[in-house]
This record gives sequence, C-alpha cells and structure tokens, in this order.
Amino acid sequence: MLAEEDAARFRSMYCGLCHTLGNRYGAAARMILNYDFTYLAILLSEGREEADRHRRCIVHPVHPRPYIPANDALALAADESVILTYWQLRDGVADHDWFHGLKYRSLSAVLEPAYRKAAALRPAFDRVVRQQLESLSRLEAQRCASIDEAADAFAKLLEYAADEITAPVRRRVLRQMLYHLGRWIYLVDAADDLKEDAASGNYNPVLLRFELPDGVWTSEARREFAATLDHSIHMLTTAFELWDFGAWTPLLSSTLYTGLFQVGKSVLDGTFQKSAVRKRSKEPS
Amino acid sequence: MNDPYQILGITESASDEEVKKAYRDLARKYHPDNYHDNPLADLAQEKMKDINAAYEQITKMRSGGRATGGTGPAHSGAYGGYYGGYSASGSSVLQQVRIAIQSGNISRAEALLANYSDHNAEWNFLRGAVCYRRGWMDEAKRYYQTACQMEPGNPEYRQALEFMEQGTQSAYRPSGGIFGTEQCAPSPCLPLCCAAYLLSGGGWIFCC
Repeated sequence: MLAEEDAARFRSMYCGLCHTLGNRYGAAARMILNYDFTYLAILLSEGREEADRHRRCIVHPVHPRPYIPANDALALAADESVILTYWQLRDGVADHDWFHGLKYRSLSAVLEPAYRKAAALRPAFDRVVRQQLESLSRLEAQRCASIDEAADAFAKLLEYAADEITAPVRRRVLRQMLYHLGRWIYLVDAADDLKEDAASGNYNPVLLRFELPDGVWTSEARREFAATLDHSIHMLTTAFELWDFGAWTPLLSSTLYTGLFQVGKSVLDGTFQKSAVRKRSKEPS
Repeated sequence: MNDPYQILGITESASDEEVKKAYRDLARKYHPDNYHDNPLADLAQEKMKDINAAYEQITKMRSGGRATGGTGPAHSGAYGGYYGGYSASGSSVLQQVRIAIQSGNISRAEALLANYSDHNAEWNFLRGAVCYRRGWMDEAKRYYQTACQMEPGNPEYRQALEFMEQGTQSAYRPSGGIFGTEQCAPSPCLPLCCAAYLLSGGGWIFCC
C-alpha cells in the first residue's frame, strides 16, 4: 500500500507534467496526460524535485494544487508523450475503415501542431517510435506467434525514451527498466484482450503462442505466462536497485515489487476493471 | 561516498545487530544469485564490493582496529552465467560463443550461433542464454527446454531451465515474501491506479 506522502508526491508530478504539457503545447495537449507518462517523467527525473509551487486549474478550480515546476526531465517526458500519443492515434487511423477511423483522425488532427513541434525537438525519438510501430504492424500482419518478438517491438520503443540520458550507469539502468516495463505492458495488455480477440479474430500473440482458441487460460499456459512476466519484473527490480531514484524510491519500490504483481494477477483472474480504472485515471483523486 | 555507514544506509549509532541486519539485507539484494546472467551483473558486483568493504571496515573499527578474522563477508559467488567455464564446449565455435556471452558481446554470440549448422543440445542451450540476455524470456525457456530434451542428464541445461520455470520465486523482495504474479496476495481494491493508452486503446496500469 502506498503511503500518503508518496501518493501526494505522485500527484505533484502528475500536475507538473500536465502544466508542462500545457505550457509547451497548449491546453489541448493536456488531454493526453495519463499515469504511465507520469511514471515516465518520474523515471527520467533526478529525484530531488520539490513540489514548491501551487496553481489552480480547470480540474482543481478552487484549491490550488502543489506541482513540480518544469525541468529537463518533465520537458523530455512531455515531448515523448506527445510523440507516442500521436503515432498511436495514427496507428488507429490505419487500423480502421474510414468511418471508425474518424475518432482517431480527428484527435490526431488536434494533436498535429503539438506533434510537429515535439518531433522537431526530438527527431531521433520520433524516428524510433515510427519504426517500432511499423515493425509491430508488420508482425501483426504476419500473425507472429512469438510473444517475445511482438513485445520486443514495443519494449524497444520505450527503451529508447531514455536515449538522451548520457550518464553511463543511469542510462543502462533506465534502458533495462524501460525495456522490461514495455515488455510487461505489452504482454499484460494482450492477456487482458484474450477473450475479446478470440471472438473477433484480432491479432493477439498470447492467443497464438499458447494456442488458446477460445481465449480461456489452461493452468499450464497460465503458469508459463506468469513466469515470463515475473522474469521481466525481475529484470526491472534488479535494474531499479542499481540507481538512486532519490525521493521517488519508496513509490517506485512499491509499484515494482507489489503493484505490477497485483495488476498481472487480476488480469489473469479476469477481475481487472479496465474501464473503471480508465474513468478514474482522468483524475488522481 | 566513502562513509561505510552511509553505504550500509545506517547511522553511526546503529547497534552491532543493526549493522549486521543492514549488511545482510543489502547482501541479499545484490547477491550474485539475484543477478545471474543479468546484463547489469557487473554493476551489482561493484555494489557488492562496496558493501563488503563497508561492513568489514565497520566491524574492524568496532573491534578496536584488531583484525577480525572469520567475521568478514562470505558472499563471493559468481555473477557470470550458467555457462561459466565449468562445462567445456564440444566445439571451438561454441566455446567462442560462451566467451562472447560472458563478455557481454551478445551480437557476436548471436552471429556465431547463426552460422553454426549443428543445432545440438549445446547450441540450443547457448541460443537460450542469448535470448535471456536480450530479454526474450519465453524463447529462452523454449531453447533450454529443447537442450534438456536432447540431453536430459546435463546439469547445466537443467539448472537453466529450472531457473526459467521458477527461479524468480526466490528473487529479492524488500518486504520478504515470495516474488511472483501468482504468489501475490489478492487486493480487493487497487488504489491509485494508472492507466496508459500506449497500445491501441488498451489501458495500462501500475498499482502501488
């Protein structure tokens, strides 16, 4: 369980990223904010940040909230978030017919100016995201049955988010953490869509790898899958222990050593409420 | 950063018992077993050296500068891989692959394996080791499986497969308790959850 102090610290980074997005890209860009991007900002930050400013906003119009003022890590996280979101939306356009692609097309059009600016600031990251999402589409088209290969495309993309870090040890630690965070996210996401994809025939590497025609786990497959998730979490925790994340250490420790297991377990049990979380995720109470 | 107390994360007023406890916890965290085949094993090894030196220094200071034979740290396992030398390769190429993996040159190991046509048990085992280093955990396990099927009596291959199947259960966890998705206590509510929309509308979450 997260201590109140750490929850408050997390919220101050969430608000800090929101303000950074707003200041750099305008109000519309704030809509892309989510908890994962907040974690990205935390991983990229120095660990000595103080939430020493307060500000009102649309979500908190009455009581000013503490937030971490803009710094290099927040700027990097904001730019990368814009690029990631934009390409995912473009991916949504490509994956749908004209009518169903409308939502993605209009959202990506709104984000277009922000994306242009972010891509100009971080051209290398922009290139890698595009390349990796293209590899992912190719693997989807081939109905690749290797969960490692499919997850690798996404994991490498996240790994690259730390490419601008130059301190050698910190860079190695962050790359390993982001790679396995990406791998874990990709696999857990696929596991959560098992039944849906089994019914619709959509590509799902976990379905193909474990040959689960109706999307129901066999105990053997479930055990194997959990073991592969645990190896990624192990790579994450062992990397995490080799760098000092300063004030973020308790929050990250609790997320990595407990939170990931809980989410993975509830996804495997089928008790994970994505939609409920989605609603809540708009506002970290 | 040469203050031995700081390295162990305690203050000078810590009791001998507390010093020992802090040392034990850190030694468990950075133990070679916890970094077996890990691409960052060299960094863990550095940490372990600092921790051992700090502990030794403190025990020395506390015993009035006398040498403290026998109380020194006993953790000096290998950070290398399963292929760490105790098993001679059947071929010189595969021996080179082992050396390449050990020195962290995974691309070279991969290239050597790709050009080696005899896909015997050892080839499969080394292929598995390369996959593991790349983070391809599922493929790693499947190559180790093939190696074990081809040569069931080989302890090196069996150990690697066992690690893939349940090795993380004994991994370090700060609160103690078993490391693992299936081992975690069910949580009735997931407080402070975070969704991501990184993948085709799927939301991803970290609960704390």
